[in-house]
Amino acid sequence: MPDWKEPIVNDEQTLLQVNDLRVDVGERNVLKSISLDVAAGALVVLMGANGSGKSTLGLTLAGHPRYRVVGGRARFAGQDLLALAPEARARAGLFVSLQAPPEIPGVKNNLFIRTALNAVREARGEAPLDAFDFLGSAREAAARLGLPESLLGRPVNDGFSGGERKRNELLQLALLQPRLALLDEIDSGLDVDGGRAVVQLVQDLRAKGTAFIVVSHYLHLIESLAPDAVLRLDQGCIAERGDAGLARELARTGFAAATEAVEG
Amino acid sequence: MDSARADALAARSHLATQGWISRQCESFRHLPPPVAEVWLGDEAGPQGRGCEAHPLAGAGWTLHPVGSTPQGRVDARWLDAGDAVQRAELLVDLPAPGQGDAAPFAWAHRALCRHGLRLRIGGAPGAQRIPGETVWLQLRHQPRTAVEAPLLVIDVQAGVQCVLVETHEREPLHCQRGIVQNLQVHLRLGVGATLTHLRLAMPGAGDRLAHHVHARLGRGARYDQALIAAGSGYHLQRNVIALEAERSAARTASVLFAAGSALEQQLQVAHAAARTTSAVEALVLASGAARAVVNAHSRIAPGAEDAAVRQRLSGIPTGGQPRLVLRPHLEIHHDRVQAAHGATWGALPEDALFLARQRGLDERTARGLIVEGMATAVLQRCLDGPGLLQPLAVDALLARAVAGHLAAAQETGHE
Repeated sequence: MPDWKEPIVNDEQTLLQVNDLRVDVGERNVLKSISLDVAAGALVVLMGANGSGKSTLGLTLAGHPRYRVVGGRARFAGQDLLALAPEARARAGLFVSLQAPPEIPGVKNNLFIRTALNAVREARGEAPLDAFDFLGSAREAAARLGLPESLLGRPVNDGFSGGERKRNELLQLALLQPRLALLDEIDSGLDVDGGRAVVQLVQDLRAKGTAFIVVSHYLHLIESLAPDAVLRLDQGCIAERGDAGLARELARTGFAAATEAVEG
Repeated sequence: MDSARADALAARSHLATQGWISRQCESFRHLPPPVAEVWLGDEAGPQGRGCEAHPLAGAGWTLHPVGSTPQGRVDARWLDAGDAVQRAELLVDLPAPGQGDAAPFAWAHRALCRHGLRLRIGGAPGAQRIPGETVWLQLRHQPRTAVEAPLLVIDVQAGVQCVLVETHEREPLHCQRGIVQNLQVHLRLGVGATLTHLRLAMPGAGDRLAHHVHARLGRGARYDQALIAAGSGYHLQRNVIALEAERSAARTASVLFAAGSALEQQLQVAHAAARTTSAVEALVLASGAARAVVNAHSRIAPGAEDAAVRQRLSGIPTGGQPRLVLRPHLEIHHDRVQAAHGATWGALPEDALFLARQRGLDERTARGLIVEGMATAVLQRCLDGPGLLQPLAVDALLARAVAGHLAAAQETGHE
């Protein structure tokens, strides 16, 4: 199976470098060999059939304890990413939105986000935001994203609908302003307005230099994001690399046909 | 000899005859209490001497109105149990210690009780009462002596709504030694009365405490108790709630911290009438070599039609190798009732912990936030939302308690 190691954007400012990453989950080897480079400000789309390793890649880069790296390297902003604790990765500027964001009963959303934001700000050498200033920014961002303001005062994701959970992830992304965001099916569960909000937020943050790895199955969103590259994952490897045309081809033929074509 | 002293001696004699709680006693076998001599002040050693608080030191019960509770709504009587007349007034209408599992504590209390407080809430004449008005009170207790048996009796009159914050504070300035405290609290709620009772008991590491709360509810009365308690040398929190009249209801929610210490909560609810409801919830955080026990027992008597019972006990080990025992019991003697109970014992939710860390919180902060959230959620379920927690500054207190517990747990883990 082919593997692709060329940088996604031919730019000296490579933000993320992944080389031959291999990951086990339990007894199963999920990522067999992943290599990719992502430059600052670039946008890469990851596509692939269910179980191909897209979410595993994101959670591994984020440092989830269930995902065991058995080989390979990953550098982020000049640091050995795999040697860092999850919070250190986040403070270095890596944001991973979760496909199914969990609830945290009893912890108010605004307190949670403000605590996270101040931890990241401290790492950047910025002064912490007080509750008043934070709430102003949070309300503004929530309004832009279509997240009801009342959800700021509720426990994190507790009783939120699927779409509200995704909007809440977007709110955190908007406020944290990371260097690299990996969005894992952020559009699933979102309505049309939510999809537009994703595109707008991504464009705004890219203009400020944030790079993105976007996992999505939906061509409309992918085309709206105008990706620099589209990668197809298959059985834990990068099987194809292309541009938006690859996404269109995959949407037309499906993943099974793409796999057969490569193997044939 | 006056009758007060005779009564105390009779109680001591009864205790000597009946004996202390057996180590095989079902209610206490997981965490047997210290022997009778401890609770009677007869323990050998320096305990009990030189620890008397100055009369003006604020020791004993002090009562503080909260907000704008009008004068005259609360009748408070501080009574000296060493005086025959006052003792009679203090103990009038209270049940005798009886023969139950915890009766030896009650007999020891009778033998040692020196002071007590009786509160009648809603004491204004009927014509002056404002329907729906809530009486807010704060009751603080500081130990008077190193070994003591304080008493608190509260009558909430029919139709009265009351919010009571009861704190047990430990001011170690006058006595560096561990204290022994055998507290008996008797609550009586009249027809349609409500009492929202927030209790805080955070003893010193060497203290030995036993708090017994007995609540009797009239028709349509409601009792909600939220407890925050920490372990110590020995710490028992025991609730005995009697739902004796139709449509009476009780809820208890407890957040218990045991970091290398001993802590037991016993929750007994007796449904004796139709359409009574109760909900018991406890969250225990235990670390190090802690021994933590929650014993919940709810009984539905024959004829208690449409009674509803719920028990939910949770334990989370936060470090070390604590011994954590959760025992939900139901005893049902009527067919048409609703009952649910369960106990869970496990780690903090991994996904929530990861989400917090992925957003930049260090592990300690993330754990603290999640534990605090879980504790807040338990209390809010009992108190119908955050409305009461904020004005009473419970969130700040809980944050301190969680931080203290996790810090102690971490120290234990490093040992």
